Amino acid sequence: MDIRLFNNWSTQLRKGMLELCILNAIKDSSLYGYDIVRKLRNIEGLLVTEGTIYPILSRLKREGFVQTTIKESNEGPPRKYYELTTKGKEILSQMNNYWQDIKTGTDALRREEKL
Amino acid sequence: MINLSNSAKKCLDEYLQQIRTYLRGCKTVDADEVERNVIEHIESEFESATAAVSFEELDSVLQRLGSPRQWIPEEELPWWRKIIFSLRTGPEDWRLAYISFGLLIAGFIILPSFIVLIPASFIVARAALAEAADPNELKSQKWLIYPSLIIVYSFVLFWLLAWPAFALSTAAYEWERDVRSSYPQFADDLHYWIMATSFIIAGLGLWWIVLAGVHLKCRRLLQVLFKPFAGWFSRKWALVLLLIGLGLMVPSLGLGIWYWFKLGIMVLVIDNL
Repeated sequence: MDIRLFNNWSTQLRKGMLELCILNAIKDSSLYGYDIVRKLRNIEGLLVTEGTIYPILSRLKREGFVQTTIKESNEGPPRKYYELTTKGKEILSQMNNYWQDIKTGTDALRREEKL
Repeated sequence: MINLSNSAKKCLDEYLQQIRTYLRGCKTVDADEVERNVIEHIESEFESATAAVSFEELDSVLQRLGSPRQWIPEEELPWWRKIIFSLRTGPEDWRLAYISFGLLIAGFIILPSFIVLIPASFIVARAALAEAADPNELKSQKWLIYPSLIIVYSFVLFWLLAWPAFALSTAAYEWERDVRSSYPQFADDLHYWIMATSFIIAGLGLWWIVLAGVHLKCRRLLQVLFKPFAGWFSRKWALVLLLIGLGLMVPSLGLGIWYWFKLGIMVLVIDNL
């Protein structure tokens, strides 16, 4: 019962957080898919499977939050680089603020618990 | 291009083929783009490889990449694939709910098998209920598990309440046959059946009194038996059932005994003729 609750909760949380993390990963510079995976790999528990980020990137592209450019690579074939559009930057700013508010509130609650 | 061993190449081809199969008919995802993403990912993983990539090395990358199925957006799946997808990957409460509903539908479609499939659907529905622990936790799953519960509960409830009427009716027919064989001239059908019906109703009333008594003694029994629908059946309703039972039993028993004596006198008269 507890495991089921935790699994459902963590799946829902991960879905939302994954989008936020992908957008944050490319907020300053354009990256290609594998580079984004490498960045997100370091966040414990975020990526259950690495392939999940590609469908999200495709959807974000379809919805106009991300745009792609094909760039030549010294190491191999041309790579597809992802970067935020203006619309993507706006939504990321909103998402970061929203997340910050929730995190601040949650941390405050947890601190109260400790007192 | 990466240098793959033969077995690794075969493994990659199979993975890409599975992706193509899953993405067939998918409107929003371009299978070629997905294939490019996968190849780009693998090439990046093995960028520094000096020798041919072995099957094991590639397989571990594909394992981390995940199932080919995940490339399809869930909203793009046709309804039957969504069901299979939920069965295979969904949480247990959904999986059980779908199985229960599937068995019920199969029971109706493949008619002779309903004797097995409907009880099976009921058992799985009860398992889904047990999994949820609190039935209020179930949301849309109710639509999937309640039909089989309602069908089986209605059947059980009907027999639980009415079996004495059927058992006593059968006994009354048997007895009438015996009486007729012993007394061929006995022709008072109406008196006999008033008596028999009175005893049947009295028996039914007595059984309902017993049921009410059992519920008053162990209140959770009925709630567990008919979970989650019997929560409302409180002590008050058990008392109502008890009163209805008494209301049926006392006058019917009186009427039955009255006609019993009348028939007894008639039998005596016939004997003396």
